[in-house]
Amino acid sequence: MPPAEARGGTRRLPRWLLIIAGALLVARIATGIQEHRNPPQLAELVRWETSAAGLARAQSSGLPLLYDFSAEWCGPCRLMQREVFADRRSAETINALFVPVRLVDTQRETGRNDPDVQMLQQRYHIEAFPTLVIVPPDGSEPTVIEGYPGKARLVEQLTAAGVKARLQRGGIR
Amino acid sequence: MNATLVLAFWRQRLASPIRLVILSLMVLLPPALVSAIRGLSITSLGDAIPLAMVLAVGMIGQDVSSGVLQLILARPVRRSEYVLSRWLAVALGASAVSLLQIGIFWGLSAARGAAPGFDTVAQFALGRELQIFGVAATMAFLSTLIGGVGDLALYALIMILGGIVGMIGQVRHSSVLTWIGQEMGAFVSPKIEVAQLVAGTPSWFTLATYASNLTLALVLAILILNRKELSYASG
Repeated sequence: MPPAEARGGTRRLPRWLLIIAGALLVARIATGIQEHRNPPQLAELVRWETSAAGLARAQSSGLPLLYDFSAEWCGPCRLMQREVFADRRSAETINALFVPVRLVDTQRETGRNDPDVQMLQQRYHIEAFPTLVIVPPDGSEPTVIEGYPGKARLVEQLTAAGVKARLQRGGIR
Repeated sequence: MNATLVLAFWRQRLASPIRLVILSLMVLLPPALVSAIRGLSITSLGDAIPLAMVLAVGMIGQDVSSGVLQLILARPVRRSEYVLSRWLAVALGASAVSLLQIGIFWGLSAARGAAPGFDTVAQFALGRELQIFGVAATMAFLSTLIGGVGDLALYALIMILGGIVGMIGQVRHSSVLTWIGQEMGAFVSPKIEVAQLVAGTPSWFTLATYASNLTLALVLAILILNRKELSYASG
């Protein structure tokens, strides 16, 4: 192979890399605009259960219940779904520490709520969405997280509450 | 890409006892702990960024500070070839270490009768590989900006600033500040959610951001190195 100088100097920038970088930058801007207008529907990785099935599993497993009170029209709820519930690591933490139950408010869309949703909203005095309620298996005071505090903070709060509940029921096995 | 440069870099990194000790601890301790605690999954092994950092820190800056770069570039080696070889050497080396760590975790879990399924392991391993190649490019860029292991300080600075700006953005409901924080975070902690790819619901913006950051970091690293005037009297 001829020396680098003969091939266009030692400081030549690889053209292929420039072209790829430029094309990807354009793709990034285009997809950014597109997804800002139409946020993608990411698959949820949290294994949500119905309130009845969740309650039964919580009683048999001794895991705390995690109620997610949300609504279709709620922007922060969608952001939380995208950032936390569609993130593999966060979702696995939630699946391991809790029995997750989602309760979607349909008051605005249909004028009424599912009786289970209505009853649980009243029990935990839900006034805003999203609200997460962690109910320990021993019936002690539930932890309420109102609003979406950002991914890192939320995962931190959930992990702390989950580990605390696990320690209360007899330590980590 | 230059195989000789890649091999020379690995030899240089493996000649450092501190790096070897840190790498050995990182490879052995997390799998032993995570597989011993019931209920913890493979994702508890965490990100691959710390593993990549052990090999990546000072990948170019140390050569500049020690005068080795002048010697390398005295030979007919293109500067772009040097940067790309350094990037590949870090990425391949860290990939091997990451796969070794995952293999040890799998072996220990299997011995306890709780080995994770192939899909789970493959998705986790792929996610880590992508992260390693991304962060190696980021470090290649930062390492051209500052000598020695100053790239680690720059990395930490961007990470902290990104976190602060993002937090202010959320508190003040400023989409611009939140976006700046997210972009800084994506630059220092590149990540692709493989589970979303498998589920057929990828965010194309996230994919494009990852690939764009990686290539831009490499282009910038080459441009900066091209502008450096290296002489024995410069250092």
